[in-house]
Amino acid sequence: MTFTVEVDQNSYLPAGVGRVDAIITVRAPDTPVAAPPADALEIIILDCSTSMSGDRISAARRAAAEAIAQVRDGVAFAVIAGTATAEQVYPATGTATASARTRAEATAEVQRLRANGATAIGTWLALAGQIADRHGVDRPGGVRHAILLTDGQNGERVAVFQSALDAVVGRFTCDCRGVGTDWRVDELRAIASALLGTVDIVADPAELAADFRAIMAAAMGKTLADLALRLWTPRTARVKFVKQVAPTIEDLTARRTESGNLRGDYPLGSWGAESRDYHVCVELVPGVVGEPALAAARVSVVRGDEVLGRGDVLAQWTDDPALSTRISRGVALYTGQAELAGAIQEGIAAQERGDLRTATARLGRAVELAQAVKEATGNDATARLLAEVVDVDPATGTARLRAEASKAARMTLDSRSTVTVRVRG
Amino acid sequence: MTLICSICREPAAAVTDRFCELCGARLHPPSADVADRVEVDLDGLAGVSDRGHVHLRNEDAMALGRRPEDGSATTLAAVVCDGVSTVRRPELASHTAATVALDALLASGADVSGMTAAVAAAADAVARLAPGVPDAPSCTLVAAAVDTATATITVGWVGDSRAYWLAENGDARLLTADHSWAAEMVGAGILDAASAMRDPRAHAITRWLGGGSAPEPGVTTLSPAGPGVLLLCTDGLWNYEPEAVDLAALALPVSSLAGPRAAADALTAHALDAGGRDNITVVCIPINCSGGSAA
Repeated sequence: MTFTVEVDQNSYLPAGVGRVDAIITVRAPDTPVAAPPADALEIIILDCSTSMSGDRISAARRAAAEAIAQVRDGVAFAVIAGTATAEQVYPATGTATASARTRAEATAEVQRLRANGATAIGTWLALAGQIADRHGVDRPGGVRHAILLTDGQNGERVAVFQSALDAVVGRFTCDCRGVGTDWRVDELRAIASALLGTVDIVADPAELAADFRAIMAAAMGKTLADLALRLWTPRTARVKFVKQVAPTIEDLTARRTESGNLRGDYPLGSWGAESRDYHVCVELVPGVVGEPALAAARVSVVRGDEVLGRGDVLAQWTDDPALSTRISRGVALYTGQAELAGAIQEGIAAQERGDLRTATARLGRAVELAQAVKEATGNDATARLLAEVVDVDPATGTARLRAEASKAARMTLDSRSTVTVRVRG
Repeated sequence: MTLICSICREPAAAVTDRFCELCGARLHPPSADVADRVEVDLDGLAGVSDRGHVHLRNEDAMALGRRPEDGSATTLAAVVCDGVSTVRRPELASHTAATVALDALLASGADVSGMTAAVAAAADAVARLAPGVPDAPSCTLVAAAVDTATATITVGWVGDSRAYWLAENGDARLLTADHSWAAEMVGAGILDAASAMRDPRAHAITRWLGGGSAPEPGVTTLSPAGPGVLLLCTDGLWNYEPEAVDLAALALPVSSLAGPRAAADALTAHALDAGGRDNITVVCIPINCSGGSAA
């Protein structure tokens, strides 16, 4: 099995400059080797707190049934109901192997769920972690994935929740969905980020079933678990950052684990037939004009110690500005989109705490950046979400927060702030 | 065979790899960059530059020229440089310095101010290779310009590459004074030559081109009384044969029989036979004159 690793950069640097930027496109083979289904694990975690009463719990039951229906024969699965504690709904302990019979049994159990209790997401994650560990004893290297649905804020103390989250990092991946508008985007984003999954809002409970079906279809396509980006840098270098930049922005810099002399691994989670882009930024001691290009970073995609693909980031110094001033299109556009995501998140956080001056400034900047993305790529998804939250006077360029903007519009913008437009491929 | 990285001097971890595992430098510089051995034979002067037996590449450089390019020359010029092997890409410094200094000498003619300006131009060009880099490329330089009409020789140098005058009448002498630790200790009267040369720092040079230094060159002129050979060389030769009379004994018979290229070749072969532990560069310029006196 071979992954393609492509490097998009301008290797030419002006004399005295040591910063090297590159976009690394990692592409899995079109037909990755199918993992035996028995290796894979799916966990469905449903919020059953009191706030879920009414059409939300019934929508959650339907969505869970849709997700269960998507689990392929042979895949291990489990369903957890979350309140102040975590209760395993199906099977009673451990995991069931998907078949027509077990899917029917699980669906029947889910239909009996009632909304009653508090919200302690840390305990739900802890139970999912235990299930994943027991599954992994006999099936190391299998894809372990969870889908988490909630509608409210977590009731746990921050430190308790954070230590529960830290404890499950690397044990399974998790896509998070918030239904309604009473949950906190930053809480679910923290979970999705730590567990290498996605976050999104499902403002209307009626849309939940379709969303769960899509998440589960994507999860069933993942066949390779626990990949990592291995980065070698020369001994004079400093890794400034490593970010996933497509399909979403995820800063991996702090996720490094040392894997040898001058080498570190950054977790990439589970993969199917897909490609993702990473932005690697390294600072070197500036080199000598005219020297042959040196390796500023060497990138490989690894599973354990098996190398699936590799690429080199180069650096060479020139006194020809025509060479050194060209910026790669990928680096430019992803740098802009990363700034855009930050401006949106900071703007909305400022608006929530009542700091309207900062909110207006940051969201005004976001509008400019979103317009640049639209002009460069033709994609106006973020520009349209922004337009529901902030107005910009076309004559003066002055930004104004839209007083009538719905909370759902702001949460949608916030949730999707990290979704990027692919620059190529 | 273990490759040694040319930049950080560490053995490469994987010999099949393209880059040094420690510093990222390319392990196989393009072969067109530097040849193991270069021989140049112009009408009236010739030189040989050889990698030697031990070093992985030739970090010395030489540049030879005459003006005009054909017909009877009015000016002969030659430059020999030795890259400082503890820095990055020393051969880049030596090649840059040699070519820039030669162009300046041929343009300005053979006098002291022309020599000083040529060394300054070479120093400036080497400094521009890597502004602000701590281990920037650097090198030594020895240059000679000969006014053939007056048989006046101007020699300039920085570092420990040398010029010798090997006169056929037996007057053989070293024209340069090394900018080296040993030479400075002897010059200052602190140590005698034997003690200074035994010190591990003996060969450390105290002036060089590049690496942020603006070196003051040594400059001397000579108007020979009779014919002989002007020899420029790096320490790859003179480490084995430092005495002018010994060099004269090796070079003069060959030069008079077979010309300057054969003489440069013979001196290089001598250093190779003695071990060839360093890069060796030798330039010979026969001077034919009937009158004048040593300056």
